[in-house]
Amino acid sequence: METVMQPERTAEAELVGEEQQQYLTFHLGKETFAIGILGVKEIIEYGALTAVPMMPECVRGVINLRGRVVPVVDLSARFGRALTEPGRRTCIVIVEAQAAGEHRDIGIVVDAVNQVIEIPPADIEPAPSFGANLQGDFIQGMGKVEGRFVIMLNIARVLSIDEMAQLGQPVDATVAAGA
Amino acid sequence: MQIDVQTVGAAGRVRIAGEMTIYSASDLKPKLLGALADCRELEISAAEVTEMDTAGVQLLLLAKQEAARAGKTLRLAAPSPAVQDVLACYRLAADLDSPRTGRAEPASEPITTRPGA
Amino acid sequence: MDLDPAVQTFAAESRELLGNMEEALLRLEADSGEKDDINAVFRAAHTIKGSAGLFGFDGIVSFTHKVEHLLDRLRDGAMGLDADCVALLLACCDHIGALIEDAVSGRPLSAELAATWRVLHEKLEGYLGPSAKPQPQAGASEAAPLPAGQPQEPNSAAADWHISLRFGREVLRNGMDPLAFLRYLATVGDIVHLTTITDALPHAEEMDPEACYLGFEISLKSQADKAAIESVFEFVREDCAIRILPPRSKLSEYIALIEELPENTMRLGDILVKSGALTQAELDRSLRQQTAEAAQAPASVADGAPPRPLGEILVQEGRVAQSVVHAALDKQQQVREHKAQENRFIRVEADKLDQLINLVGELVIAGAGTHLLAQRAGLGDVLESASTLSRLLEEVRNNALGLRMVQIGATFQKFQRVVRDVSRDLGKDIELVITGGDTELDKSVVEQIGDPLMHLVRNAMDHGIEPHDVRLAAGKPARARLMLHAYHDSGSIVIEVSDDGGGLKRDKILKKARERGLVGEGQSLTDAEVHRLIFEPGFSTADQVSNLSGRGVGMDVVKRNIEALRGTVELTSRESVGTTVRIRLPLTLAIIDGFLVGVGPARYVIPLEMVLECVELSPAERQACMGEGYVNLRGQVLPYLRVRALFDLQGQAGSRESIVVVQYGGRKIGLVVDTLHGEFQTVIKPLGPLFRRLRGFSGFTILGTGEVALILDVPGLIQTVATKDAHGGSSAAHAVAASAGVGSDAA
Repeated sequence: METVMQPERTAEAELVGEEQQQYLTFHLGKETFAIGILGVKEIIEYGALTAVPMMPECVRGVINLRGRVVPVVDLSARFGRALTEPGRRTCIVIVEAQAAGEHRDIGIVVDAVNQVIEIPPADIEPAPSFGANLQGDFIQGMGKVEGRFVIMLNIARVLSIDEMAQLGQPVDATVAAGA
Repeated sequence: MQIDVQTVGAAGRVRIAGEMTIYSASDLKPKLLGALADCRELEISAAEVTEMDTAGVQLLLLAKQEAARAGKTLRLAAPSPAVQDVLACYRLAADLDSPRTGRAEPASEPITTRPGA
Repeated sequence: MDLDPAVQTFAAESRELLGNMEEALLRLEADSGEKDDINAVFRAAHTIKGSAGLFGFDGIVSFTHKVEHLLDRLRDGAMGLDADCVALLLACCDHIGALIEDAVSGRPLSAELAATWRVLHEKLEGYLGPSAKPQPQAGASEAAPLPAGQPQEPNSAAADWHISLRFGREVLRNGMDPLAFLRYLATVGDIVHLTTITDALPHAEEMDPEACYLGFEISLKSQADKAAIESVFEFVREDCAIRILPPRSKLSEYIALIEELPENTMRLGDILVKSGALTQAELDRSLRQQTAEAAQAPASVADGAPPRPLGEILVQEGRVAQSVVHAALDKQQQVREHKAQENRFIRVEADKLDQLINLVGELVIAGAGTHLLAQRAGLGDVLESASTLSRLLEEVRNNALGLRMVQIGATFQKFQRVVRDVSRDLGKDIELVITGGDTELDKSVVEQIGDPLMHLVRNAMDHGIEPHDVRLAAGKPARARLMLHAYHDSGSIVIEVSDDGGGLKRDKILKKARERGLVGEGQSLTDAEVHRLIFEPGFSTADQVSNLSGRGVGMDVVKRNIEALRGTVELTSRESVGTTVRIRLPLTLAIIDGFLVGVGPARYVIPLEMVLECVELSPAERQACMGEGYVNLRGQVLPYLRVRALFDLQGQAGSRESIVVVQYGGRKIGLVVDTLHGEFQTVIKPLGPLFRRLRGFSGFTILGTGEVALILDVPGLIQTVATKDAHGGSSAAHAVAASAGVGSDAA
């Protein structure tokens, strides 16, 4: 599992701070999504996943990230769509999520990582109230990039650990013993 | 502060004139220890010391301690009134082996040894 | 100079001392205390005062001084120690602790603390009776006031004060000179005697000519009061350790001073002289006598008999009291012991230790990886070398983990105070008996076990132990026993909290459970099942609620806390005989020996210490145990779980299956898996918040291949089976689990 790409954080991006303007774009199915670059820690090749039983479908499993166990979420499944079919360009983007006030790394499976772009606030429009084919509060806004729209994700909301943890199933011992 | 060092065989003499205070302590320390290193017996002539404070006393104590460690002799000769006053206050006259112990005396002692220059 | 680490050390040491103080006070109260205990309390208070003074925590100094004063009276036997007095001292102990926490965190004194201060101060005054003024609200009216014989301090005539000064290093640089203070002091009184202490003067090369290394022991004849003398040193107070003993101070104060003096290498005689208990002349005479005696008895010297110690001569001569000499000798002894201890112990930051343990953990993984690779490549000599490495790693691991092991005794001791206070509140007479305090377990476990233990102890006192009259009526001794016991048992530590109280009332619990629908009408439960109901969320019988446990924490929380530590908790109780709660915890949370099994492509780890044996199932046995839930293992009926079905894994079992027999807490089950992959060491990684509701697993681990594997939660699985076992399907316990909601499968 090698690091494919380490997004560079330019001095400018650091300075922008809260009004972050740089975004990582990636493909998922036919759509292009963008997430703020500051929350992205690294991008690694897809593979070596260990499945965790009894978890919702969108939790693909866990990986060993230099000695740390990091859960991996299938973004497509999280959006209520089909599981991502791993391909040649499939990647895991490691992002920082929050749980109970603590930072936790989570990997998200994407079809392909695109590029790091700048989207000035002026080019961002509010999330559409309908038609986005996606749970409304997952969308932070719509960014205009070269005449096309990319969906800018509210990654904290999408990767809400509390919400995903709730989806887990308890073990039923009666099935296991076949009684 | 002025310090002159004279060594005759194994015996050395250090003449200190001016103030022995915190302002001169950093200068004085290496000179005093250097003089002590070069001889077996050292006499510190303090007749011309015009002012002394705790930093000054500590240097005398340090020299005494180092001399004792090295098995050497250190003697304080002819302390000036300023020095005597401080030693009296700290009750250290006996410890420093000064020939004049006890209370400060008004008159300054005749200087027994006066090295050249 | 950065004082912060020093202040932290002060706080840590003071906490330790307060702990000692509390223990000694409790021993004194229990009548098992000895003279040594009151001395221990005094020493602790005194050391805290001294250290606090060094940091300029004047509040702590003045309050502790007051306490010390009372202790001094007690020590001299001028006053008797009664229960109220111990209570007051315990309260003072708490107050000093609070003052220290405040001072260390830099907070100003809170109003609450100030109020406590006033109350305690008044009580202390009540005991000490500094003035003739009665202290009606002191609450100590019945306590013995000063004996009539106690001399009142006459302040009229000039008398000898003893002043001990140790100037700070920065004094000179700060523009102050000890000389000036001594000259000023000479205006307040007559300096009868002064010794300049030069012990702190370092060797030439280390000596900073602008730093101050001097200290002074002074006898001052003066009519001035203490405040006036203190005011001499007003400007240097923060840069100088100042101790002032009033005239005609008791020997004990000199003893205290001797103990407080920072000099390490002082000879006994010097100490006595410098603290004014003895003059130089007296010392000289005694020294001469010592030499003379040695000369008179050359024969005895030749025999190797040592000359009479100086202390003995002094006492015999009547120059100093025996106790003063002892204190001085103690000081020398302590200096020596302290030096020896400094050589034996190093204070290490807990974080650094954790880092080390983590690294060792990674090393263990890497070692396992190397071993695996060597095995695969079939390189004999590499494999051998890897084996050696693994063996060494195991030793390193054990040693590293050993560094974190601490005795549980200190945690247990804290409950002495709790039991004392709570039993008073409840009006019950309860004795706490501690055994197995030297049992060691991981520091992180110790830190987290305090709260659950606290709850169990309070529960036992509150609900378990009957009121006085009930006990007597039942023919039990009036004094109840609460026991804390710890011991090691097959890779776990077991902690028991037991009482000789009334035990659980089976009927009451059942009734309550039926009311709440936890148990159906007409269902019969075994005692063990009834006892398990106690751990259900929010379960409490009506008359069990009291102000003590009305803290919104029930046994279910205790159970959850214990389970979070990978432990289990069970309860046994006999009506009118008593109750025992048994907590079983892993020795460490960091690393385990694992047994790797496979189900299809998935790999799972079973903690090796729980694995009894592995048996390959014959086709006949596989056939026989299909859909049964039990397997006949050499004539023994063994319940089992199919891991594949348990976790809803895809795929079909291969041509072979094995059963891993696991045991925990006296129960055995089998786990059916496809393949066995053998043992290896593994680092436990917590599940993390995303998987917190996941049952059946206790953590992750990283295999030698770099892959992540899940660790099976054997205790949890065993509980599941045991519950099912007892009820065969549509059981009460299932009803319990269902009504308690998701996640209580182990109920």
